[in-house]
Amino acid sequence: MGMGSNGELKYEISQNAYIKLVLHSLRHKTAAVNGVLVGRISPKDDGVVEISDSVPLFHSNLALLPPLEISLIMIEEHYVAQGLSIVGYFHANERFDDVELCGVAKNIGDHISRYFPQAPILLLNNKKLEALSKGKERSPVMQLCVKDASKNWRVVGADGGSKLLLKEPSANVILSDYISSEKWKDVTDVDDHLDDVTKDWLNPGLFN
Amino acid sequence: MVTKTEETQLNQLEIQVDNAGGGAWDYLCLVRDLKIRRSEKVLKHGSSILNDPRKRSALGPDEWTLNEQVATAAMDCQCLGVAQNCIKALQKKFPGSKRVGRLEALLLEAKGLWGEAEEAYSSLLEDNPLDQAIHKRRVAISKALGKPSVAIELLTKYLELFMADHDAWRELAELYLSLQMYKQAAFCYEELILSQPTVPLYHLAYADVLYTIGGVENIISARKYYAATIDLTGGKNTRALLGICLCASAIAQLSKGRNKEDKDATAAPELHSLAAAAVEKEYKQKAPDKLQLISSALRSLKI
Repeated sequence: MGMGSNGELKYEISQNAYIKLVLHSLRHKTAAVNGVLVGRISPKDDGVVEISDSVPLFHSNLALLPPLEISLIMIEEHYVAQGLSIVGYFHANERFDDVELCGVAKNIGDHISRYFPQAPILLLNNKKLEALSKGKERSPVMQLCVKDASKNWRVVGADGGSKLLLKEPSANVILSDYISSEKWKDVTDVDDHLDDVTKDWLNPGLFN
Repeated sequence: MVTKTEETQLNQLEIQVDNAGGGAWDYLCLVRDLKIRRSEKVLKHGSSILNDPRKRSALGPDEWTLNEQVATAAMDCQCLGVAQNCIKALQKKFPGSKRVGRLEALLLEAKGLWGEAEEAYSSLLEDNPLDQAIHKRRVAISKALGKPSVAIELLTKYLELFMADHDAWRELAELYLSLQMYKQAAFCYEELILSQPTVPLYHLAYADVLYTIGGVENIISARKYYAATIDLTGGKNTRALLGICLCASAIAQLSKGRNKEDKDATAAPELHSLAAAAVEKEYKQKAPDKLQLISSALRSLKI
């Protein structure tokens, strides 16, 4: 299995995976939230990571290990049957203008990359999310972060080699619609599930 | 903190009010009593009462409490115009009031005028050095400015004065956790367990922190606190049951080099099987489509 030249990968995120994570952040506006990315290396091009789904994890106490461990076990278990695995991590900071990757995000990113070395961290970009409502945003409202040669996480700039792409170009339009209709009220995460197992972290029917 | 019964009651009332079934004032009172943050709903329903002269006068003196509640909710939703109006009404009714002064300072916070807000709080504190709400707003400002260490410092000083404030201990624990300062967070939960030993959530949180710090001794302790949580909740807490299973697996892993007697002393196989069985039973009853998944997950945690 090789990578694109110099480890420059394309991360292609599907509409559902993308929107689910943003809606989750909007449901818990006053907290930091996180989630995992699910997918695989593209069978057609091993320089592309396909992020086909996502699972929103927590909206409180992100730094605790037991709920995280249980989640990762359950999520891997579920998706392995579809030939998919956990391929990355999503994080949204508590504060609007906080663009740093915190220790928790890096630790979880490190853990995931032990199993999937190309795993990225996607960080919610609040300024872009705000611009979305003004219809001015075409690119994903997330910041791509990858591990560099010295194994440190760094934010990928516009001129960086790796790229985050929206698989469906209309994803931001659909996202804006959902935000207007307050769809974020319907998103369930693993935190909700652990408090009440009838709540399904797979969010079936969210986009019906 | 809110119990499940209280939350259900609140949600039912909320649905009723949302569907124009009346009960807005009861809803607003309940939100106030439970100290829950539902600012959009409070703003919507509170405003509709305040903007209706008949409903407003029907409240009598409660009108002013409602103004305060709506002002705070409006600030949370960044509807600063509404907040300003409520505060003006309160200023007119209670000129020179310190309680209104607090709201004015809160509005400065909402506008992002941190320096002015800090000054306002400092001067309010001069007259009321023991006003708990003002101390806490200063902690909140530090948090908002992205200075968690300052927030921790302020909150620690606050707790030296008001050591019975459980919410403050919890907030401090969460601040420490956000900085991954697990031992300090553990200390906070220890204080909470000492002062309120029958509240299961503190035992659960403490267990989670101990497990996260790691090491055989801590995980054995964590298991005890998960067990205490199960005891206090009549076996109904899924997180605690899963915690037992995680501990069993972790202890087994960490004990690999040890001899058999040591391993047997730390293992608690019946506890583990009972916890796993309880989890499966719960999923069978309430989330049968996830039963296979959780059984598989539990199997992977078996020694």
